[in-house]
Amino acid sequence: MNAVVFNSVTKRFQHRPALFNWLGRERGGATEALRRVSLHVPKGEALVLLGPNGSGKTTTLKLIATMLIPDEGAVAICGADTLEEGGTVRRKVGFAAANERSFFPRLTARENLDFFAVLEDVAKQERRARVEEKLRLTGLADAGDTLVMKFSSGMYQRLGVARALLKNPEVLLLDEPTRSLDPGSALRFWPFVRELLSGGTTLVLTTHNFQEAAAVADRIVVLRRGEVRSERAFGLGASADLRSADLPGADLPSNRRPSIDEVKAFYFQATGDGEDAPAFETAL
Amino acid sequence: MSRVSLSEKLAAIVRRDVLTTIRYRNGFLLSAFGVLAEVVAFRYMARAIGPSFRPEGVDYFPFLLVGSGFYTFLITGVQAFLSTVQEAQQTGTLEVLLTTATPAPVLIFLSAFSAFAGKLANLALFLAVGLLLFRVPLLHPNLLGVGLIFVLSLAVALALGVFAAALQVAVQKGSAVIWLLGSVWFLTGTVFPVSALPLPLRWAAWSIPVTHSLTGMRGALLLGKSTSELAPEILWLSATGLVLVPASLAFFSWVLRRGRREGTLSAY
Repeated sequence: MNAVVFNSVTKRFQHRPALFNWLGRERGGATEALRRVSLHVPKGEALVLLGPNGSGKTTTLKLIATMLIPDEGAVAICGADTLEEGGTVRRKVGFAAANERSFFPRLTARENLDFFAVLEDVAKQERRARVEEKLRLTGLADAGDTLVMKFSSGMYQRLGVARALLKNPEVLLLDEPTRSLDPGSALRFWPFVRELLSGGTTLVLTTHNFQEAAAVADRIVVLRRGEVRSERAFGLGASADLRSADLPGADLPSNRRPSIDEVKAFYFQATGDGEDAPAFETAL
Repeated sequence: MSRVSLSEKLAAIVRRDVLTTIRYRNGFLLSAFGVLAEVVAFRYMARAIGPSFRPEGVDYFPFLLVGSGFYTFLITGVQAFLSTVQEAQQTGTLEVLLTTATPAPVLIFLSAFSAFAGKLANLALFLAVGLLLFRVPLLHPNLLGVGLIFVLSLAVALALGVFAAALQVAVQKGSAVIWLLGSVWFLTGTVFPVSALPLPLRWAAWSIPVTHSLTGMRGALLLGKSTSELAPEILWLSATGLVLVPASLAFFSWVLRRGRREGTLSAY
């Protein structure tokens, strides 16, 4: 069964210039963040989204989390349409956003998690144990009574993961989860994520880190300018038949973890980036 | 089916807001001091105007105390809730809150309620200091009437708070509601009676729900008017609440859907 299905999804963001735009120069028009994207993630699989800045990775996660509604096409989570059955979808999806500050700064980590646990409908009798478990899992048990305004970026990021796990989600969304972690914590984080998958959780993770993609992915999708440029399955649990024969990398074996160099080569082949590519690129 | 009751959710939101307020230690103390200073200022203002000025049949100090205290409670409640929404937009908490299992209209209504609960402490302090310290006699207050006027006024103010939040999410200018409420302040009978206004403005004044809140509250608390004597205020506030509460929630839901479509939930 598929946990996540994107069926020809298009997402546009309109730019509405301010009144008296001649006083400044604000652009109009629209940005097509995703263009006819179709993908599916089988239950228990880890999908990693790779792509340059502005390629549509976070938009994809926000569409799954119901923070956004597609303009065209449909997104379904465990069979529930995000537009028609948003409430059902929200009970199944946990989202650790890249925005590290999305907590109440004058509450402690424990108080923050307890608050979100109430809103996530975690029953009173299991709430305390659930919060302690997630603090322990993310290595924050000793910092549980610290106001989060005193947290470092890495601690915020771990707390974000703890919050996403509170509802024991069927689909876990991680937006650049190790961006602010020290290298040691990142290395320990990846097996932790793989462990979650063994419990049946489906994972969709965005990253710019090839090492992370290699350590976590059952499948990698490369996005660029809102389009799926390439898709490749890896690992024993991956479904090789998901690969499209006409996409780069489709002929590679699918029964083992990829090396970092393989991910890197796959990515650059998919994006078409070469040595002559500009140093920075952002799709607008 | 939710495994957590509404009251549990409300308690969690109130606890969050109380903890946040008291952890701004200096702000908390300054706000308490501000309440005391305002009561004292009103006391001496009423003394300067003299005992012959008895608007709506009561001494000027209790008239001011109830009018200003209750008006401030209603307006600062709207403002506090709006600030909560603005901060949540700026930190990105709003988007996260709206992806929890709690439906957005429930969450927003409970948050508004909590904002008003916080301001209720200020109102209680304001009235307690004024009534006890300056020994204002309360002759047979109609407590049922006080309760009714309070609950109905709160419902109207909650709806205005939800409208302000919706405007904030829609056009990032929820403060327009505060501006509107502030601009009709002189019509509501807060510091002088509506009867002092010329007739056309008096009609405008009676169309504002806050005017009925203040008249009703003074009647019940200071004049001991019976519930049937308070019927015009009760009916007006009930009708306004019945229209505004569902309308505000429907408007918020529409705005939310629009924000999800346009990706502007966290725009500020």
